[in-house]
Amino acid sequence: MIEISHLYKSYGKFVVLDDINLSIHKGEITGLLGPNGAGKTTLVSILIGIMPRDKGDIFIDGMDIDKNLQEIQTICSIVPQNLAIYPMLSAYENLEYFGGLQGLKGRKLKARIDYCTEVASLESFLNKRVHKFSGGMKRRLNLAIGLLNNPRILYLDEPTVGVDTQSRNYLLEMIKKINREEGSTIIYTSHYMEEIEQVSDAIAIIDEGRLILNGPKEKILKQDFNLSIRVGELSEALCDRFKRMQAVTVQDGCIRLKRDGRFHDNLIEIFSLLKSHAVDVIDFDSRDNNLEALFLKLTRKSLRDA
Amino acid sequence: MIKIFYILKKEFLVMGRDVHSLAVLFIMPVAFILIMSMAMRDLFETHAVMQIKILVVDRDKSDPSQAFVEALEKLGSFSFHHMEDNTSLDLIRRKMFQDDYKFALVLEKGFSAAAGRDGSNQVERQMILLVKPSVTRQTYTILKNTFAANLAKTRIAFLLKGQEEMLDFAGIDLEKMMQPADNLIETRYVSKGRQKFKVPTSVQQSVPAWLVFSMFFVVIPLSNTFIAERNYGTLMRLQSMNISTGFLLGGKLLPFFIVNLIQVVLMILVGVFVVPLLGGDALTMGDSFGGLLLITTAVSFCSISFALLVASIAKTTEHATTIGGVFNIILAALGGIMIPKFVMPDFMQTLSVLSPMSWGLDGFLDIFLRNGNVLDVMKESLLLFCCGLMMLSTTAFIIKRKLSL
Repeated sequence: MIEISHLYKSYGKFVVLDDINLSIHKGEITGLLGPNGAGKTTLVSILIGIMPRDKGDIFIDGMDIDKNLQEIQTICSIVPQNLAIYPMLSAYENLEYFGGLQGLKGRKLKARIDYCTEVASLESFLNKRVHKFSGGMKRRLNLAIGLLNNPRILYLDEPTVGVDTQSRNYLLEMIKKINREEGSTIIYTSHYMEEIEQVSDAIAIIDEGRLILNGPKEKILKQDFNLSIRVGELSEALCDRFKRMQAVTVQDGCIRLKRDGRFHDNLIEIFSLLKSHAVDVIDFDSRDNNLEALFLKLTRKSLRDA
Repeated sequence: MIKIFYILKKEFLVMGRDVHSLAVLFIMPVAFILIMSMAMRDLFETHAVMQIKILVVDRDKSDPSQAFVEALEKLGSFSFHHMEDNTSLDLIRRKMFQDDYKFALVLEKGFSAAAGRDGSNQVERQMILLVKPSVTRQTYTILKNTFAANLAKTRIAFLLKGQEEMLDFAGIDLEKMMQPADNLIETRYVSKGRQKFKVPTSVQQSVPAWLVFSMFFVVIPLSNTFIAERNYGTLMRLQSMNISTGFLLGGKLLPFFIVNLIQVVLMILVGVFVVPLLGGDALTMGDSFGGLLLITTAVSFCSISFALLVASIAKTTEHATTIGGVFNIILAALGGIMIPKFVMPDFMQTLSVLSPMSWGLDGFLDIFLRNGNVLDVMKESLLLFCCGLMMLSTTAFIIKRKLSL
């Protein structure tokens, strides 16, 4: 659906995107993950055709972005990071305005507004002015406006910023529903790892303008899978025994197993040793085996401001 | 076409629900027109009797001295307060400061002698005029000349007294000859268009002045919405919908032009109907609708371009409100909005041509006051269009640059 090859963009001497090569498949939700200032919004802005690039080729739905920008823009839509809505207008007036500017009118406009408000669960608040909305409702309206033109490609630029957990979960479900029902290809940028993990089919990690990892989510997560077993007090002999095992480490009362060919054998052996030495198993934890761990590892764990 | 409809609808809904913008665009100029029309009524009222208060001490107490004062009183321009003839100059001085008299006139004892009845040339000084330093040179000169002219008439009257038979024989009516010469001079106000008698009033100055001022104040609502749209990503969203920069700017020009038209109609209605209810003069308009429309369009284009330029430069709405407000006040002060240009000194009048508000005001005055037509406002309109075009081009450049960063 989207083919990006050798894409470069810089502001003066500051390189924002450095040789990006990425394929995004039709109907998939691709999570574009990266720390603040990594270049995610710049990449999306270039793909939507509102920012020029320095170098590189972009094909969207088989169309060259340089030659077919107008057609591309009719099949795409962006939900900006900020609330690109008018607080003094009602939800309906906002939807009508943006729909009207996209050439929708009459019954078609009404039908799209009905669909979008239903997806966003805003039917009861259509005539309420947006400045009276909660943060979550504003986010839902922001997203609903992005659906007005029935986009085949939807760019979501950090769509859940500043909302509570319930609203975030609702938005994520909404995104999955859009993808399921409308078959839209969705590019979802965020620095919230758990969101990307929750909604994405594919993941692309970008840092300092470079694409450092991309591929199907399952494959990416499995390649660095770990299991932690928090146990009671270990004798020194038992500790040494574990440390001698391949792909097993012991630290701070935790035994960590890496997922490799010996994973199952190692797991059985560890449990039988723990049982024979009467060591209690306190907790299992696979959380540090998730995207967050991978992301922090790849981006070298340091905090960097844009 | 449908897009224009939605843009207009959105702008009017946003503006209509913004009480502060409505107050700035409509209530503020109406208040200014009403207040300034009343406050400056006397300054503009050329036919009103504006009397100068003068203290008088007549030490001569003679027929000529009394006739001199009576003749001045008949002019209607002076209000005399008589003091005892033996009042000292020091006491007069104190009275002047105590009761806010700018002038005091002391007719000396030899006034009648100097008037010529007894033909003596001994008296050198006939009267003393005490003047406060705050009095302008023009006022002092006019007053002194008036006194000198009346003194001459008084002298002629007394010289000719006793010559009635000879005057009768010559067919000269002394009474009529000594009457004020005002009725010998007819005042006509000239206009650029067809000759039409029109007396300038405070409302003729206030309505166009505060109208131009209020039209430029679209900078506040326009920049506020524009900056919010830019900062909250609405412009980005619109751009992604294949809406061009030209359309974005046009989407501001058209609705705010309509707002400016509503302002013009409202301010004219206030000048014609509301000001007279408060005791002021009614606004009289010229005959050229075309001229009025041309200068209105030109001022509107320039003011909206200025507002867009401020919006494109400013980073925040607070920033825009400050820049827009301060610039508007400076342009207004310079352009003769706050103080009429004719009361400014020459160098300030020359400087006023730097303000687009001055061009707009001159254009409206051409229509309202001087009965001008399309050709008469062409120069001001062209200046405003050129200035607006320069600002709009700069705005388009800045917006394109900012949105692509």
